Amino acid sequence: MKPGNQMIKEVLRNGTAAIVAMIIGGASIGYAQESVSVRAALTTGGLPLEDPNAAVWSSAPPATFPMSPQVHWQNRIQEVTVKDVIVRALHDGNQMAVLLEYADPTQDPDDAAALEFMVGDKKAHFAHGQPMLQVEGGPVNIWFWKNKTDKGVDMSAKGFGTLKPQEHQDVKAKGAYSNGTWKVVFSRNLSTGHPEEDVQITPGNFISIAFAVWDGRKDGAGELVEKGSQKAVSSWWYFRADAPPDYSGYMYAAIAAALALGFQFVLIRKLKKGQ
Amino acid sequence: MGALGKPIILMVAMYVFIKFVLPNIPGSAPLPSSLIALYLLLTGSGIVIFQTLSKESKDAFWGPMQRFLTGENLGGLQALRYGVLILFPLLVGWQTYGSTAVSDLPPIESRTIHPAPPGEYTGLSNPVAKTPDNIMQGKGFYAAYCSPCHGGNFDGKGPAARGFVPAPANFADPTTIAMLQESYLFWRIKKGGVGLPIEGTPWKSAMPRWEVELPDEWIWKIIMGEYDGAHQSPRTWE
Repeated sequence: MKPGNQMIKEVLRNGTAAIVAMIIGGASIGYAQESVSVRAALTTGGLPLEDPNAAVWSSAPPATFPMSPQVHWQNRIQEVTVKDVIVRALHDGNQMAVLLEYADPTQDPDDAAALEFMVGDKKAHFAHGQPMLQVEGGPVNIWFWKNKTDKGVDMSAKGFGTLKPQEHQDVKAKGAYSNGTWKVVFSRNLSTGHPEEDVQITPGNFISIAFAVWDGRKDGAGELVEKGSQKAVSSWWYFRADAPPDYSGYMYAAIAAALALGFQFVLIRKLKKGQ
Repeated sequence: MGALGKPIILMVAMYVFIKFVLPNIPGSAPLPSSLIALYLLLTGSGIVIFQTLSKESKDAFWGPMQRFLTGENLGGLQALRYGVLILFPLLVGWQTYGSTAVSDLPPIESRTIHPAPPGEYTGLSNPVAKTPDNIMQGKGFYAAYCSPCHGGNFDGKGPAARGFVPAPANFADPTTIAMLQESYLFWRIKKGGVGLPIEGTPWKSAMPRWEVELPDEWIWKIIMGEYDGAHQSPRTWE
């Protein structure tokens, strides 16, 4: 058994270490509990635009978002297969790629997934930009992928029933299924020539993103269980492509520290002279 | 250090009071750091004014600080002096870096949880008689249309709730329907999330606009069933 004061010392030492660790890590503690945004890391080594299994994806920080059955509008659904999506993103300053990963016990031709973005400055309701009664909402841009065709469809909507493919198809998508997990990569240029219908991504700025997933399984009667508005949806979350590294903060800090040092020097000299 | 000791103790005591004691006084709340800094600045200014009223008190106040800075006859405190002289520029640099660095946190969205309803939805009374039959019917409608999100136990923890932000309202919580009149619920159920004003962040609410699917009478019965099931009573002005 340890003597009492040695134990107290140990407790104090460990406690101090814990407090220091909390102060240093403070900024990230509140942030790590739950994902609120997807961070597209800036990469220089080529983007995996159509490769859901590329090794470089492990360098992108994952964010997890919970899913709910779509109940906002009819036809609604009360239970869905996919409960969470894990999202990673990368960009190279010109193009971006988003990887959606989720558990689905079976691979079906009608398995599908989509990303949704607000377009422009007006807020859009997360359910396909459903019109709001007291607020003038904006449209949404939807990037859709289906296993059957294994390609991306670039779509626009402003309310349920208005979803349609765009004239200009800018989105690519590719899925890979293994061990009960879908990995779907969506990619596009950061900006397009059609800002009225396409989301424009400016590195450094937060934009709104939402997710949808359809499990293409069929029921006993051979009918699709999840289809159309009967799907798993997420709320709005944030997406940001990392801005290029900015070292000006270090420069400003160095200037401020030098000024403080100079101030000290002058002050002490004056004090010494005055006496 | 006599003339310096008291001001230091006073500043520390003031900080402890504002930061830790004041928020615990009933009806009070934690103060924002900018306000705490302002109070401490005022306290500090008061101390300086008080200490420099006469020549003697001024010398007693500034003297030890000057001697510390110039390092004369400091003896064992010399190491502390160097520490302060090195730490101060570093602290200034660190503060500057912190205030210029780009935040990694997304923009803060403030949401008003119970925004004001449109005029036509204030003060309506439930036209349906409060009979056991009607309450039971209301609970039946609630189970069919509302419970997937708001929960069979009226606690906002229905099986469909997990992905929605803001989370479906918990009616058992005394800060939800117990604070509201029946006519407010009538408005929220009828118009749903898309009916909220801008401060209610309608673009994030998953609440359906039930007026397109349910007759008014059913909605009034659902309201009755909700209050009864959650063991709450509507707010009244009497």
